[in-house]
Amino acid sequence: MIEISNLVKRYGDKKAVNGISFTVNDDEILGFLGPNGAGKTTTMNIITGYISSTSGSVKVNGHDILEEPELAKKEIGYLPENPPLYHDMTVIEYLEYICDLKGVSKDKRKSQIDNILSMVKISDVKNRLIGNLSKGYKQRVGIAQALVGNPSILILDEPTVGLDPNQIIEIRKLIKSLSKRHSIIISSHILSEIQEIADRVVIVNHGKVAAIDSITDLSKRLSGQSKLLMTFRGPSQECAELIRTIPGISSAIVRVTDSRVSQIEISIVSNSTSDVRVSIFNCMAKKNWPILEIRSLDPTLEEVFLSITAGKRRAN
Amino acid sequence: MYAIFKREFLSYFRSPVGYVALSIFSFLSGYIFYTQFAYGSVSISTEVISLRSFFVIIVPIITMGLFAEDKKRGTDILYYTTPTSLFSVVLGKALAAFALYAVMFINVIIHIIVTVSCGGVFNVGDFGAIIVFFFMAFMFIAIGLFASAITDSQIVSAIVAFVFILVSQIISVISGYVGTAAGSMASTLGLSNSKASSIGTAVTNTITWFDPFVKTQDFSLGIFSVSALFFLLSVGILFIYLTYRLLDKKRWSQA
Repeated sequence: MIEISNLVKRYGDKKAVNGISFTVNDDEILGFLGPNGAGKTTTMNIITGYISSTSGSVKVNGHDILEEPELAKKEIGYLPENPPLYHDMTVIEYLEYICDLKGVSKDKRKSQIDNILSMVKISDVKNRLIGNLSKGYKQRVGIAQALVGNPSILILDEPTVGLDPNQIIEIRKLIKSLSKRHSIIISSHILSEIQEIADRVVIVNHGKVAAIDSITDLSKRLSGQSKLLMTFRGPSQECAELIRTIPGISSAIVRVTDSRVSQIEISIVSNSTSDVRVSIFNCMAKKNWPILEIRSLDPTLEEVFLSITAGKRRAN
Repeated sequence: MYAIFKREFLSYFRSPVGYVALSIFSFLSGYIFYTQFAYGSVSISTEVISLRSFFVIIVPIITMGLFAEDKKRGTDILYYTTPTSLFSVVLGKALAAFALYAVMFINVIIHIIVTVSCGGVFNVGDFGAIIVFFFMAFMFIAIGLFASAITDSQIVSAIVAFVFILVSQIISVISGYVGTAAGSMASTLGLSNSKASSIGTAVTNTITWFDPFVKTQDFSLGIFSVSALFFLLSVGILFIYLTYRLLDKKRWSQA
């Protein structure tokens, strides 16, 4: 668990980070978003101990990064935007070197390295020079070094930058699998990626937290309501009337898409804080009207991001 | 510290740097030894003292990349974000460069063996010259390490180390000029010739006091001075500490 409170970093007169506070819970993937220059990398550098904050505190599993740096750093695995790789070393030599730096005991070293190699799927290149590896493999080696020492928290800064679509999917799967045993802070400009893997997001802008919530709640908060588009087979008017009786649903607009098979499309707007899809499903099931599709029309993370950061920009 | 030492020492031989330094040293020591051997009179202290003149070339080569290269490729982040201490990183790198110098010195050891086996002499003066050689190597490596920590360019680092070491090698010459200039200035300000001359001499002596070569010149005669060795060691430790402070300052920088 990471507790960040009131973090400030000044560079001369400019505040790169201006009072950022948030918490990362155990086994959670937290998306860390913001436009360029918003203070993301500076915040991550402070959390990992690379630079110090002007004020505020970072506690990693209860250890303050400035007061107990060694204990705090043992809990963190960091993959910076440019992975810190030595091109003149082989993968195995490099990971052994990282084990030395992180103080992994000799008896645990071999099993830990073997485990990491298989987890990030780089066993087949372990004896190759890092300089000769492809960008995707280099990124995997970067993730592997972050995993050395079995840290409870992983901080990944743009882990998929520069990778091809296949490599992005592979790295995304890897990160998702790592979240079972690690808390993860991930920063990325690919918002669809964050939407897919993050449990919550923190959006920073001009060094401040602009929003922090789950993606669903952020979308709801932005539009003030939840929108669904449902396709089913059944009588149109009867169905619309039934749906309007469900608590929390404020409107339901029906459109017949295929009269031969009584296929109906219905746009539903809900003001409820709870998920109305369960109630809709139960009603439809009772009437034996098959649901073909329920699709959320809530704003995407990209729309939320643009709205929040553009709004702030205008305010500034 | 051992991890850093091992990585840095092995990296000398994963790149041309170690081989270039080793080749230059082997050529120079071999040439000096051969010249003496051909005349039938070998003095190991003369060879070692001559080799000291080439610190100005070899030290910048072996120290220029120690921190500059890390900064350039972004691997310095590992020193700050892993539980290892920054001071042990600095010490590990200094020891790796020193170890390379020790490896290069094998050339001289071979020359000693050849000299002694051919009936030559290896006396206490030679031993003294070797002690001074290693203490000076430590001091100049520390200076080179500091030069490497102030920049991310290996070329700039090499130039800074070169200038530092060159100045320390010609400090006696510089002190003469500065002393004469100080005397002339004192004379211009209206002081008597004797006072102006004594001021010039005092300035010259003060600057010469820092000359590591003058301080240790009696070692090859078999006259050892602990204070001279302490001076070399102190300057080396000072620059290692300054390197540590410089790197640690980055963490706290607000600029």
